[in-house]
Amino acid sequence: MDLFADLGLGMSVALTPANLGFLMIGAVVGMVVGIIPGFGPSAGIAILMPLTFGMDPIGAVVMLAAIYYAAMYGGTITSILLNTPGESATVASTFDGYPLAQQGRAGPALVMQAVASFVGGTVGVILITLLAPLFSQLARGFGPPEYFLLAMMGMLCLVVMVGSDWRYGVISGLIGFALGTVGIDLETGQQRFTFGSPHLIGGIDFIPVAIGLFGLGELFYAFYQGRHASGSGGIVQYQRERRFWPEARDWVETRVTLVRASLLGFAVGVIPGAGATIASLMAYSVEKSASKEPERFGKGAMAGLVGPETANNAASAGAMVPLLTLGIPGSASTAVLLAAFLLWGLRPGPLLMSQNPEFAWGLIASMYLGNMALLLLNIFAIPLFVLMLRVPYRILAPAVIVLCTIGTYSVHGSIVETWLMLIAGVVGFFMKLFGFSPAAVVLALVLGPLAEEALRQTLTISRGSFAIFIERPLSIWIVAITLAVIAAAPLMRRFQPRAA
Amino acid sequence: MRLAFTATILCLAVLYTYWAFADLSFLSSAGRLGPGFFPRFVGLLLIAACVLTLAGDLKERRADAGLSSFWRITVVVAALSGAFVLLLEILGGPLAMVVYMLATLVVLNPGRSVQNVAISIGFPLALFLLFDRWLNASIPPDALGLPW
Repeated sequence: MDLFADLGLGMSVALTPANLGFLMIGAVVGMVVGIIPGFGPSAGIAILMPLTFGMDPIGAVVMLAAIYYAAMYGGTITSILLNTPGESATVASTFDGYPLAQQGRAGPALVMQAVASFVGGTVGVILITLLAPLFSQLARGFGPPEYFLLAMMGMLCLVVMVGSDWRYGVISGLIGFALGTVGIDLETGQQRFTFGSPHLIGGIDFIPVAIGLFGLGELFYAFYQGRHASGSGGIVQYQRERRFWPEARDWVETRVTLVRASLLGFAVGVIPGAGATIASLMAYSVEKSASKEPERFGKGAMAGLVGPETANNAASAGAMVPLLTLGIPGSASTAVLLAAFLLWGLRPGPLLMSQNPEFAWGLIASMYLGNMALLLLNIFAIPLFVLMLRVPYRILAPAVIVLCTIGTYSVHGSIVETWLMLIAGVVGFFMKLFGFSPAAVVLALVLGPLAEEALRQTLTISRGSFAIFIERPLSIWIVAITLAVIAAAPLMRRFQPRAA
Repeated sequence: MRLAFTATILCLAVLYTYWAFADLSFLSSAGRLGPGFFPRFVGLLLIAACVLTLAGDLKERRADAGLSSFWRITVVVAALSGAFVLLLEILGGPLAMVVYMLATLVVLNPGRSVQNVAISIGFPLALFLLFDRWLNASIPPDALGLPW
């Protein structure tokens, strides 16, 4: 079968010593990023992107993608041991994970979360393997109208589903579009909003904005919330317990959960804007409803931990489908990954799998290997990561600020971009404070130029008529799916974690 | 403060849209959509979104949450970060990192001088070796002609 041949090609690319090394580095860094509360995979990928510029593109993307899904593993460690989610997608893991640790079952909880993440991630990658070629085939019929509509679908879905108020999400997205217009207009060569500055002729670079919004902005917000003052107290005593491994009843209780949450998580993850957070909370709700003992949920039910953990990893795999096959990122993390692909001259979309099969299948194969590596890492290296939790935030934060600053400078050797990063950090802080969406800004900054190019091509083809969007069957389908997702948004927003 | 932030975005949106109309043509010389098409569209939408949001917030009398008791330290950390970027051009990357780390740790981690000095030298050194030696990436040069 072609599928096995493609996967074989991918494995041959992923199993080189260099790429395996990058995979492991990405897995460890992703775990660390997940452990640091408030620091998500989007920040980790953005901050580490400058370090990858000298690398082979495949190795670099394998590493950055590993950071993305490894953060889901790492974020649960703090959920279980500290009752503090390391990542927004691991909020649901605190509901039953922390009570389990309080009952002296931290070891079984950590092992089960590792297994759940592995199953969810692996099922997700299997589904990518099966569905990505189909999506790719479907998308071969796409033209500029469909690409414009897909970009708008990605933006609208994210804006409507993420953030405290969709109005602030709309403003955030439009800010991102506006920033994307700075520079040279590719069709006419005219400068736009450069005001004669040579620093703006190339446009506003994505990396300083992403590092500023996700890195510095998050750190300033963490200080504002007083995270630096809480120290590392409150950690549940983790010891090498005699009962480190789960019991038979844990496996029996969660055998159906693993399958159900994998499928649910993947399906939710494919929808742009939904993401791992909504997937994990939906899975928790589903498991509680399906359980014969729902009263145990919130008090240490293993299914209450396994369900969300499986779902969030499956969702992070699901989000790769629209990214790889349509070139549409559905979240801030995949938007940062898209920017990385574009920086290396790779254009995700229907032609990626046929024109760069070694890249696409190498990445997919690396995800199989990455999940296996993370399972082992999570089970046997837990004490090391627990040690990391003891580093006080007041020491960690300045180090991360230095890394952000030097990393930004190292991209183009530009102090102007470093100032831009700082300004983005301050703006990002206020955006977080007032309920705006830094994720929408970043997504729009990446998608805006693509959307503009597609729209101008579309209106050139149609001689200025917008009716083209309802004359093409594929366009009508995309519009219908977008409207359906927006209609379902109020229901899905119920699964968002409440702001503190 | 939320209203002020939204109002600031509105002012910037008005300026952006003005420049889009004033400096950028809607159609190119070839009669196709020009450089001003998309910015005008985005600018007008942004103005409308800001106005509607401001009106909504004023109508709901949406009050800001009170200032956190940690606002001062947030300002200090942000100011130190700004000073760090400034120092990068004067002292160069390595020295600026050491000075910044020390200054920030003295504020955040007071009373632990040995620990602060060790971290302020150790971490920048590790970062310098990572970027300058291993990755061959550019670290800001200094203006004083220091040896590294």
